[in-house]
Amino acid sequence: MQFQRIVTGKIKSDLYYDLIELFSGLFLAGFLGMHLIFESSIIAGKKVFNNLSQTLDENYLALAGISLVVVVFFIHFLTAGRRIPTRCKEQKIIWHHTGRLRHLNTWAWVLQIITGIIILILGSIHMWVVVTDRPIKAETSALRIQSGYLWFYVILLLLSVVHAGIGIYRQFIKWGWFPRKPLGYVIGFISIFFILLGFTALFTFLRAGGL
Amino acid sequence: MNTIVTDVLIIGAGLAGERTAIEAANQGLDVIILSLVPPRRSHSTAAQGGMQAALGNCAMGRGDNPSIHFEDTVKGSDWGCDQDVARLFCETAPTAVRQMAYWGVPWNRVAAGRKRLPGGQEIYELKEYEGLITARNFGGTAKWRACYTADGTGHTIQYTLDSIVIKLGIKVHDRMEALRLIHNGDKCMGVVARCLRTGKLYTYISKSTVLATGGCGRLYGASTNAVINEGSGMFLALETELVPLGNMEAIQFHPTGLVPVWILITEGARGDGGYLLDKNHHRFMPDYEPKKKELASRDVVARRMIMHMRKGYGVESPYGPHLWLDIRHLGEKHINTNLREIANICRNFAGIDPVNELIPVRPTQHYSMGGVRTNINGAVYGIKGLFACGEAACWDLHGFNRLGGNSLAETIVSGMIVGKKAAEYTLGTELTYSYQQVNNHYNIVRQKIKNIIGGKLNKKRHENVFELKNIMEDVLMKHVGIFRNGKDLLKAVNALQELYHRSRNISLRSSGTGASPELGLALRLPGMIKLALCVAYGALKRTESRGSHYREDYPRRDDKNWLKRTLAYWPEEKDLPCLKYEPVKITEIPPGDRGYGESPGKGGTS
Amino acid sequence: MKNRELTLNIFRYDPNIPGREPYMQPYSLQETEGMTIFIALNQIRENQDPSLKFDFVCRAAICGSCGMLVNGRPRLACKTLTRDLPEVITLMPLPVFKLIGDLSVDTGSWFRQLSIKTGAWVHSDKSFNPNCQEERMSNETALKIYEAERCIECGCCIAGCATANIRDDFLGAAGLYKIARFMVDPRDERPEEKYFDVVSSEEGVFGCLGLMACEDNCPMELPLQVQLAYVRRKMALIGFRV
Ligand SMILES: Cc1cc2nc3c(=O)[nH]c(=O)nc-3n(C[C@H](O)[C@H](O)[C@H](O)COP(=O)(O)OP(=O)(O)OC[C@H]3O[C@@H](n4cnc5c(N)ncnc54)[C@H](O)[C@@H]3O)c2cc1C
Ligand code: HEM
Ligand code: HEM
Ligand code: SF4
Ligand code: F3S
Ligand code: FES
Repeated sequence: MQFQRIVTGKIKSDLYYDLIELFSGLFLAGFLGMHLIFESSIIAGKKVFNNLSQTLDENYLALAGISLVVVVFFIHFLTAGRRIPTRCKEQKIIWHHTGRLRHLNTWAWVLQIITGIIILILGSIHMWVVVTDRPIKAETSALRIQSGYLWFYVILLLLSVVHAGIGIYRQFIKWGWFPRKPLGYVIGFISIFFILLGFTALFTFLRAGGL
Repeated sequence: MNTIVTDVLIIGAGLAGERTAIEAANQGLDVIILSLVPPRRSHSTAAQGGMQAALGNCAMGRGDNPSIHFEDTVKGSDWGCDQDVARLFCETAPTAVRQMAYWGVPWNRVAAGRKRLPGGQEIYELKEYEGLITARNFGGTAKWRACYTADGTGHTIQYTLDSIVIKLGIKVHDRMEALRLIHNGDKCMGVVARCLRTGKLYTYISKSTVLATGGCGRLYGASTNAVINEGSGMFLALETELVPLGNMEAIQFHPTGLVPVWILITEGARGDGGYLLDKNHHRFMPDYEPKKKELASRDVVARRMIMHMRKGYGVESPYGPHLWLDIRHLGEKHINTNLREIANICRNFAGIDPVNELIPVRPTQHYSMGGVRTNINGAVYGIKGLFACGEAACWDLHGFNRLGGNSLAETIVSGMIVGKKAAEYTLGTELTYSYQQVNNHYNIVRQKIKNIIGGKLNKKRHENVFELKNIMEDVLMKHVGIFRNGKDLLKAVNALQELYHRSRNISLRSSGTGASPELGLALRLPGMIKLALCVAYGALKRTESRGSHYREDYPRRDDKNWLKRTLAYWPEEKDLPCLKYEPVKITEIPPGDRGYGESPGKGGTS
Repeated sequence: MKNRELTLNIFRYDPNIPGREPYMQPYSLQETEGMTIFIALNQIRENQDPSLKFDFVCRAAICGSCGMLVNGRPRLACKTLTRDLPEVITLMPLPVFKLIGDLSVDTGSWFRQLSIKTGAWVHSDKSFNPNCQEERMSNETALKIYEAERCIECGCCIAGCATANIRDDFLGAAGLYKIARFMVDPRDERPEEKYFDVVSSEEGVFGCLGLMACEDNCPMELPLQVQLAYVRRKMALIGFRV
C-alpha cells in the first residue's frame, strides 16, 4: 500500500456517503410522492387544497418541511451528484459504452443522471418561485400554471418521477431488498400512477376558474 | 538476450505444475512457473467428474482402502502400470484430497439419510460419516471413490491451488511458451521461451526444471482436450535426444464426444440411463454387451460403437458418421436438473435440446497415458535436473488405460512427490552453466524463427502450416484410432514421415512478427509430428492388444512378449523414433483377467 | 437461414507496433451448421488471415479465455452460435483489460491482481495434519461455497460495467463475488474488519451503482445481484460495528 493510504488508515466515509445518498434519495422520493398527493387535492376542489395548505402552515409543518426539503435536496445533489462522470474522457467512455452495450439498466442510469442535472435547475427555480410567493393557495398556483408555467411543470413532473423511480429501483437492487423483475413492474406502475395523478392535477389547475 | 534465473523452473500451470510449485516453494526455494495461458485457464479446469482417493466415507465406498484402489488401478492399466508407482499413488491420494480440503476445495460431503439411486437401489448414509468428503461412481472401480465438487471438480481444485500459489507469492509468467530445453548433454539448465504477448525471446536458467505441460490430445482432429494441449513438453524432452517418451501409443478415447465440436458428454448421461442408438434408432449396446450395456468400461463402449458404425449403422453427417445418444426418456425435469451441464452443452454448442432431440456423438480422443518417461521420483530418464509430472509424464500410473478420476489424483499426488524430490535435488546442487551453452540453445531457437519467417528464398516449397496440421490430425484419426492394424498403421507412419519432411519447408503467410499465432504453430508443428510418429510407430510395433491399444490383427494381450513399456527416442537427423523397451514392474498383482472386458459373444444387429 | 454468407467485422490493433492506428477489418465466410464464433474465427485464421489474434483454450465455456464484444455485448465467443446472430457480426476486444492485440486481452493479469488485492485464499492459522481426518462440513455449506466459486474469470461482467469502464481500481462484480466466496467459507478465519478494509470503499462494493450489466452479461448466469447485495449489507453492518 502507498504511504498516503497507510497514514490515512481505514475510512468509513464511502459507507456514509452511500447511506446519505440512499436516505436523501429515499426522502426526496417520499417527499415527491406526498407532494404530488397533496397537490392533487385540487382535484377534490379548491377548498380542500387551501385548507390543507393552511393546516400545514398553521402547524409550522410547511416551514419545517420546506427547509428540510431544501436542505436534503442540496445534500442529495452533493452526494448523489458525485457519481456523475465529470471528466470529458469519462463521459466519452460512458457514451461509447452505453451505445455499444444497449443494456436497459445502464441506460436507465444515464437517464437518471441527465434528469438529475435538469431537476437541479428546474427544481431550484420551482422552489424559489413557490417559496417566495407564500402562502400556497390554489388561486396563485392556478394563476402560475395558466400563465405559462404549465410546460415547466409537465417537464418537471416527468423528470422527477422517472428520476425517483429509477433511483428507488436501483437502490432496492443494490441492497437486495426485492427481486429485480417484479420490482421493475411495481415501480413502473407506481410511476405511471403518479404521472397520471400529476397530469390530472395540472389539468384541474388549468381549468380552475374564478381568478 | 533477456535472462531470468531461478531455483526451480516449472513449465505448466495446470494442477500438476502448481502442486509441484507449492511443494518446492515450501522448501524455501525460488520458483517460477511458465504457462501458455493464465493458470486458471489451464486444461485441468475442464475436468468435471472427480478425483479418486480411497476415503471410504460414502455408503457405496464403505470399506474402501488404498489396496482396493491399487487393484483397480493395476487391472485398469491392463498390467501396464508400474506397481510401485501405483502403490505409492494410492497410499498418498487420501492425504492429497484432505490437503486440498484444508486449502479450500469445497468437496461435496456426506449427508446422512436414505437415498435412492437412479437405478432404483436404496442406500443409507450413516450419521457417523456425515460431513466427511463423499464420493461418486466412476467406471472400472470396485467402490465409489471419486471425490468431487458438483460438476466442477477440476475448476475448484485449480482455483484453490492457484490461490495458494498466489498466497505464497510464487511467480507465474503466463503467456510464456517454452520452446527448447537448455542442457549440456548431462544436465538440464532451463529453457528458451517466447513471450506470447510480444513475441520476444527469453532464457530461463534454473537449477532444476519440471515439465508439467499436460497431454497431447490435439494431435488428433477430434479431441475432448483444450486447444492448447499440443504436447509441447513431450517434444521438448524428445528433442534433447537424451530423453525417451514412454508408451506413446497408449491413447484413450472417450465414447461420447459431441459432434462436431468434440466437447465431452460425461458418463453421467449413460450412468443415469441414457441409451446409444444407431441410424435406425435401434439400441445396439445390449446386443454386444448384454450385461453392462452402455455402462461397460470406456474403451469397450468406444470399440463397440466404432464396430457398429463400421457395419454401416452410423448416421452420415458432413463431419463423418456418428451415433446418437438418447436421454429423452429421462424426462425434462431430470435432464434440466441432474444433467444440467450436459443439457447446456448440447444447447450452447450444438443448438440441440436433449429433452426432445437426439445428441450426435462419436468416440473422441480423450487422454494420453504416455509421456515423458520418469522414475518413481519424477526424475526424467537420461538427463539430470529435469523432472516431469501430470499428464505430460509417463510416471506410469496408468499403463495402457487410465481409470476415470485417476488423472486428477495423479496431478496432485505426483505434484506432491515430484515437487519434494525436485526440491531435494535442487537443494543439493549448484547453479552452474556456461554462457556459451545457453547462448547456443538460444541461437538455435532464433535461427529456427529466422528460417521460418525469412527463409522463404532458399526453400523449394512453401508449406502452409495449417494444411500440414490438418493432414496430421486426419492421418491419426483415420489410421491410429481405436481399432488399429498393421496395414493402416504402416500407412500412417509413411504419411507422417512425409509430413515431417514437408514441415521443414513451412513458410508463413503473415509477417510472423510480434506474438504471431502463425509463427507459434509453425514452431510447434514439427515437434507435434514427431509425437504423432511416436504414437503411430509405437502402435505399429506393439503387436498385441492391451488396454486402449487395440490391434485387430493381434486381438489378445501378449504378456510373454509385450509385458514391457515402449521407450521412444528421437535422434536428431532421423525421421523416425528409435524404439527401445523396458520391463514393466510387477510387484503385487501378476497379470490376470481385467474383469470388465468385452463379452465374448460377437453380438451385432443383423 | 441456411448457408448464409456472414460478414465479420473485426477490430484490428497491435499495440506492439508504435504509430499504427486501430481499424475494423471485414471478413466474409460461409456459415455452416452449428457454427460458433470459435469455429468462424479459426476458419478465418486458417484460410484468410493467419495474423489474427484471439484466445481460446477449452472452447467449451469452462476456462473463461474467450470473452469478447460480440455485436457490442460481452460474450464467450466459444459458446456463441452464429445462427443466433444477424449476417453482419462485429467483434471487438473486451474493454477495461489490457489489449494484447486484435481480440486478445489480458484478463489473466487483471484477475491475478484482483486475487492479490482481495487476499483471495482461505486465511487460516491452523496447520494441515496429514494423519487426521478432514474437518467436517455440511454438504449445504460445501454447495454454497461451490456456488460462490463458479465464476470463471472471463471478465464479461467487468467489461459490461460502466463503473469499471471509468474506474481502473473498481473490483467489479467478479471481485465482489470472489469476496463473497470467502465470506461464506467457515474455514476462512479472517476477522470481519479485514473484509471491510478491502471492499468497503468506492473501489469495492460502494462503488457499485447497481447497473446490473454484470448479471445480465455473465455467461455462467451467476446470481451476481444477490451476492453483491449480500456483500453490501454485510459491509454496512460491519461498518457500524467496528
Ligand atoms: C473434458 C475432460 C474431462 C476430464 N475429466 C476428468 C475427471 O473427471 N477426472 C480426472 O481424473 N481426469 C479428468 N480428465 C483428465 C485431466 O483433466 C487431465 O489429465 C489433467 O487435468 C492434466 O493436468 P496437467 O496439470 O498435467 O496438465 P494441464 O492442466 O493440461 O496443464 C498444462 C499446463 O502446461 C502449460 N503449457 C503447456 N505447454 C507449455 C509450454 N510449451 N510452455 C509453457 N507452458 C506450457 C499450459 O499452459 C498449462 O498451464 C479430463 C480430461 C478432459 C479432456
Ligand atoms: C420546497 C418545497 C416545495 C414546495 C413548497 C412546492 C410546492 C409546490 C406547489 C405549490 C405546486 C403547485 C404549482 C404552483 O404553485 O406553482 C407544486 C407543483 C409541483 N412541484 Fe413542487 N414544491 C416543492 C418542491 C418540489 C420538488 C423538490 C420537486 C421535484 C423535483 C417538485 C415538483 C413539483 C411538480 C412536478 C409540480 C407539478 C405538480 C403537478 O403535476 O400537479 N416540487 N409544488
Ligand atoms: C438536485 C438535483 C438532483 C440531482 C443532480 C440528482 C442526481 C442523482 C444522481 C446522479 C443519482 C444517482 C446516484 C447513483 O448513481 O447512485 C440520484 C439518485 C437518486 N435520486 Fe436524485 N438527483 C437530484 C434530485 C432528486 C430529487 C428531487 C429526487 C426525488 C424526487 C431524487 C431522487 C433520487 C433517488 C430516489 C435516487 C436513488 C438513490 C441513490 O441512488 O442514491 N433525486 N440522483
Ligand atoms: S462473474 Fe460471470 S461474467 Fe464475471 S468474470 Fe465471473 S463468470 Fe465472467
Ligand atoms: S454492472 Fe457494475 S455497477 Fe455494480 S451491479 Fe454490476 S458491478
Ligand atoms: S474457450 Fe474457454 S470459455 Fe471459451
